[in-house]
Amino acid sequence: MPMTTTVVRARDARGRRVGVGPAPHAGPTRARRRTLTPYLFIGPGFALFLLLIAYPMARAFQMSFYDWAIVKGAASKFTGVDNYVKAYDDPIFWRALVNSGVYMAFTVPAQVVLGLGVAMLLKAKAPGRALFRVLFYLPVVTSWVVVSLLFQYLFADSGLVNYGLHNVLHIASHDTSWLSSRWTALIAIGALGTWKGIGWSMMIFLAALQAVPRELEESAAMDGANAWRRFRAVTLPAIWPAMIFVTVMLVIGGFNVFISVLLMTNGGPADQTQVLLTYMYQQAFKYLDFGYGSAIAIVLTVLVFVLSAAQMRIMRRSNDDGALS
Amino acid sequence: MKRVRIRAIAPVAAALCLAAATSACSSSAGSNSASGANAGSATPSSGNAAANNSASSSAGAGDAAPVTLTFWGTYGNGGNKAQTDVLNGSIIPAFEKLHPNIKVNYVDIPYDSLLQKLETSAAGGQLPDLIRSDIYWVPKFAALGVLAQLDGKMPGFEKLAADTYPGSLATTKWQGHYYGLPLDTNTRVMISNAEALASAGITAPPSSFDELKADASKLKAKNISVFADKGLQGWTLLPWIWSGGGEIANSDLNKATGYLNSPQNVATVQMLVDMYKAGEIPNLLIGNTGATSTQDGLPKGKYATILDGPWMHDIWAAQYPKFAPTYSPVPAGPGGSISVVGGEDIVMTTASKHQDAAQQFIAFTQTSDYQIAMAKTGQMSVVKSLDDQEAAAVPYFAPYIKQLQTAKPRPAVPEAPQIDTALQNDLTPAFQGSTSVQAALDKAARDIDPLLTATK
Repeated sequence: MPMTTTVVRARDARGRRVGVGPAPHAGPTRARRRTLTPYLFIGPGFALFLLLIAYPMARAFQMSFYDWAIVKGAASKFTGVDNYVKAYDDPIFWRALVNSGVYMAFTVPAQVVLGLGVAMLLKAKAPGRALFRVLFYLPVVTSWVVVSLLFQYLFADSGLVNYGLHNVLHIASHDTSWLSSRWTALIAIGALGTWKGIGWSMMIFLAALQAVPRELEESAAMDGANAWRRFRAVTLPAIWPAMIFVTVMLVIGGFNVFISVLLMTNGGPADQTQVLLTYMYQQAFKYLDFGYGSAIAIVLTVLVFVLSAAQMRIMRRSNDDGALS
Repeated sequence: MKRVRIRAIAPVAAALCLAAATSACSSSAGSNSASGANAGSATPSSGNAAANNSASSSAGAGDAAPVTLTFWGTYGNGGNKAQTDVLNGSIIPAFEKLHPNIKVNYVDIPYDSLLQKLETSAAGGQLPDLIRSDIYWVPKFAALGVLAQLDGKMPGFEKLAADTYPGSLATTKWQGHYYGLPLDTNTRVMISNAEALASAGITAPPSSFDELKADASKLKAKNISVFADKGLQGWTLLPWIWSGGGEIANSDLNKATGYLNSPQNVATVQMLVDMYKAGEIPNLLIGNTGATSTQDGLPKGKYATILDGPWMHDIWAAQYPKFAPTYSPVPAGPGGSISVVGGEDIVMTTASKHQDAAQQFIAFTQTSDYQIAMAKTGQMSVVKSLDDQEAAAVPYFAPYIKQLQTAKPRPAVPEAPQIDTALQNDLTPAFQGSTSVQAALDKAARDIDPLLTATK
């Protein structure tokens, strides 16, 4: 009905204007406007994407094939895949790759399990629920710089962690120099990443848990399924899309670990705790080797892209095959 | 429904990971967005605007129109208002009075972001006329073509250069030409905590390698480290290497093998390794970021001695007002007592549209109006003929002025940061005990050889 009236009115208007003014435009303009509208909405975001993401990305890709001269107007030398070969032969690049992978492998399961656990606990109506939700989410919105420095103090040789383990709990017989060797430093950095990330996965899981059909849970309970079985057969399949989302995002985030490493160890001692992004940063901004830095960035991008695609494929299939049946 | 949701994740995820991986590199693209990433970008860009305006106005007007020089520096680092106040309040006005046609617009940039700021500005063609640059960066930017050659171009350059400390002047030299003049200098001397030493019955700071070794075990018994320093880069390691009678490279700076891995250096580094393994030097030395800093460890009596520069005087005066540091020369070894030169140079960019005016300001920086005024705020003078005037004006500089007479600069080459990384990475295993000192120095020398001759 409304549609018809609009058309009739338009016709009325056109009829009155015949032979008086310029050629009628109302019909075509409206049609054009209708086709333009979505683009106007997309436009600003897309323009920013092109300017701030697509263009720098394309430039980084280009730079990775050059011995890049940073000075404006200076000629850069095309070196083909030299920068990629250099990475392949560079033991610190491989160590950084392994460190990024270890950080990811350490923090992603911890954040998923703990985030889901906290979400399950905070789903139930309990006194102080809102307060705890805020407290768990607080680290997520706190500045990386602040908490990195905080964790550096916590894990310092005479810091609170050593005091707790050694002087209070007597678990350790002596103080551990956490940040002075590779694996202990990665534990400290991973602990920060996990602590800071739990709130985020908790939030996604909390939202997903609201959508678990209550009648399914009730009927499973009536059928005598215990809590673990109900979780496996009802809750988990229902929140599986959220699980995929959280895992994929955390894996991407894990490989992109940067600020915490830069501030807590700066990749040291002796490049032992270098991760891909700190190493890239060092090459580009300390040594001014933007070609090599860009090559490392491209390798990381491809790696994360392939990993994310593979993950979504595997997790989607496991959902179709098993969890729901 | 579920499938749709899963598919929707893919492009978002891809975009996010790409963005994160490339965001750091985007600043090299030289777009406006790049400079936005740096703290304090607003001020420098307004400074440039001023410079550009004056360029266009002076083009037609000739001599009468004033030019504005933009000058970037890091005097205000760490909230140090004393130095920027003197510069803006009296030094620059004094220069402008002598040169009514020249205005100087000083832009203060945090020390930690100056290098990045220069990189992105070089990429974007937005450089200032003058830079107060760390001596460490001058060869790199000279090699990149960012800095203007001064010898043979600037009137009176040779006379001014001859009156500066040779160790400082060497840092402005790249491939036979000079790209600046020393602006201020510093060096490291031994600073000790007399109370910590006295607790082990030691009455004076160690003046030689042998005394240092003897003090080490006495202090160890009191749970005090005889010496502490952070990292194994040139700034920390070279005073020991040089005092031990060794070198890092030949005098032409193109060969480390045969110099860095000499028997003298093996003996010197072995001495440090032995003390490290005995627990007499803390693992701050291999770059442990969790160890107590020298700045806190010395006044607290955790460390008995450190090597550091003249800026510590004011830092401790504010943070540990009760602490009375003792200053003495770097402990002497077979090569004497030789420390490392630090400081800043004044350089002019090739992009400057006012080279004559900029050179006049460079010449002014070498006068007592500049040098002694800055010395009073903690920046040591580089002009030899002003030594007495400086010592009278700032008494606590005396041990540093003495140490500077023999102090040497780190190799002034573009790849200096990579040389530091090689020293740090190759020597750390020797301290951790996984390789011998000889093998570590051999590897460092091999790694440094190509870095010395790289001309990028």
